[in-house]
Amino acid sequence: MSDPIIKQTENKTTGWETAVSYLPKLLIGLALLAFVGYFVVYNLYAVALFRFPFDYDQGEGFELMDTVLFSQGEWPYRDNDSYPFYSSNYPPLFHVVTVPLVWAFGPQYWTGRLVSYLGTLLTALAIGYAVQKAGKRWWLSVLVGLAFLASNYVYHVGPLFRQHMFMVMFETVAVVYLARTVAKEEADGRFYNKRLLVVMLLLLAAGYTKQLAYATVAAVFIFLLLRQPKRAIAWAVPFAAVTGLIFLWINVATDGYWFLNTVTANINPFVPGQAEGLFRQWFRLHTVLTVTAVLFAVYQLYFDRLSLYTIWFVVAVVNSVTAGKWGAGESYFATAIAASCILTGLAFNRLLTWSQQANDQSPLASLQSPKTHFALMMAIPILFLFQANQMFHMPTHTPALAAIAAALGRPTEVMIAPQTSCSAPRAPEPIPYVDSAGVSLLGRLPTAVDTAAGIEITDHILQGETAAFSEDAGFNFRAGQDIVTNPTQLLNLYNNNEVDLTEMLAMLNDQAFDTIVLRAQFYPPPVLDAIGQQYETTNLVQMNGFVYCIMRPR
Amino acid sequence: MTKRQLGLTFIVLGSLGIVGLFGIDLLGAGQFNGIGPTQRLGLLAAGAVILVGLTLLPLGDKPA
Repeated sequence: MSDPIIKQTENKTTGWETAVSYLPKLLIGLALLAFVGYFVVYNLYAVALFRFPFDYDQGEGFELMDTVLFSQGEWPYRDNDSYPFYSSNYPPLFHVVTVPLVWAFGPQYWTGRLVSYLGTLLTALAIGYAVQKAGKRWWLSVLVGLAFLASNYVYHVGPLFRQHMFMVMFETVAVVYLARTVAKEEADGRFYNKRLLVVMLLLLAAGYTKQLAYATVAAVFIFLLLRQPKRAIAWAVPFAAVTGLIFLWINVATDGYWFLNTVTANINPFVPGQAEGLFRQWFRLHTVLTVTAVLFAVYQLYFDRLSLYTIWFVVAVVNSVTAGKWGAGESYFATAIAASCILTGLAFNRLLTWSQQANDQSPLASLQSPKTHFALMMAIPILFLFQANQMFHMPTHTPALAAIAAALGRPTEVMIAPQTSCSAPRAPEPIPYVDSAGVSLLGRLPTAVDTAAGIEITDHILQGETAAFSEDAGFNFRAGQDIVTNPTQLLNLYNNNEVDLTEMLAMLNDQAFDTIVLRAQFYPPPVLDAIGQQYETTNLVQMNGFVYCIMRPR
Repeated sequence: MTKRQLGLTFIVLGSLGIVGLFGIDLLGAGQFNGIGPTQRLGLLAAGAVILVGLTLLPLGDKPA
């Protein structure tokens, strides 16, 4: 007969151990909950944007205009010197992909926003797939995929009518597919050229979505040069030839306006302070992802072979310096964030697998134990929870969301003064959106009040007979009028001495436009001078935290 | 490519970077007398690349 006291103690120990053994699962569950929460927030934001029928981010309407021109079989790379003074500075693919939706539903903002949003989902899936193939730990694969979508930067720009995240999608799918292809080639001892052709086509698609994809193209060919130098050159030559031929074709078809608008007009001044500020912010918001990726990269550099993901990450981080260009911004870090998510997943998978193995020859063999594995299973979800806290962002427009923010020790609203370039400063007002990135113009959900404001501005335009000379395209779209010029593109061309403003200034001086709509005064100085001399402000309308100035002829 | 070759590549690229950063002054570009802030950052980065290259040399023929 056993001693009942001893038996009771044994049972208690077993129960305690059982409870402790559930801790990693509990922490993983909490981490998953945090990132699923971010995914819900992302979808709230996306749906709010799909329903908002005006520009949310400056420039969205001009991407819609590019799509409309493509839907009519016309190029958007045009002469800026004559009416309507419109041209695009972006490659065509994103807009071409969106064309069928514009054919079916007309020039709606949600079309491109939906395409971009779906692109971010595909990117997250590709990230999760890459990590799942390497480690077969579903929770880790889900966490890194959702971590990408939870990035403040991805959240801000993912559901906008902008082509950037669609480029990141092509880049990520190309890199993940190439990594899988090379792994298969090295395992099977043979080349899979059809697969490599698909990779090249994906890279071509990325480049013709946005020029910035050159960094990923460089990363891919650096990797191929390291692993298969002859093959890298054999593929680089036709890739460059096809890229160049398409470039030449578009340039000839547009009488040279393609080169002028996509290359010359993109030579913008570099602002070192802007680059430094964005690098600091990127690191602060993505600390765990970035530090893990850097440590894994250093490990590979000295103790292993450099993987494609590591080279991609390094090249993307270096290329993020271009975020310091005038007109660039946080979205330029999206490629580096995608790469860091994959590297983080791979690094944690590697650590977990290593801790479960027994390798007597390793100098760290004594650390390979169930205790180490348990510690890692605790530490990894804690790190993801820390990362989730670093990138906190949440709309707080409903009592439930405000309560969650308050419970997490966050403010339930932020006081932000409306942005204005053309009126007296306005007092700060409460905004129901909190973001670790700081005071952000992106991220807050547009409301019915914002839609009403957009309709009000459109009504002002409709009181006249002509198209408005407007910094946002959305009002003219709704009024059924021409889209007149693209202010930032015009400024880029002006700064590079590549535009003749004679006709535009003559029209402004003749008060040929019944309405002017200013938001940020991005027009070149001579244009702003002419507006100031010939027009006066008659109405101020606030939309999305911006004060729009409606001007009429003096 | 081996770790040593990769190290040599880094050293060459870093050296070219330094030459290029001083070459900018010879071409008359830049707004500052002497070494400007962007140039200083570039020189630091190029120096770091050379340093990493040097540390890779002892790793010999291991695959990069």
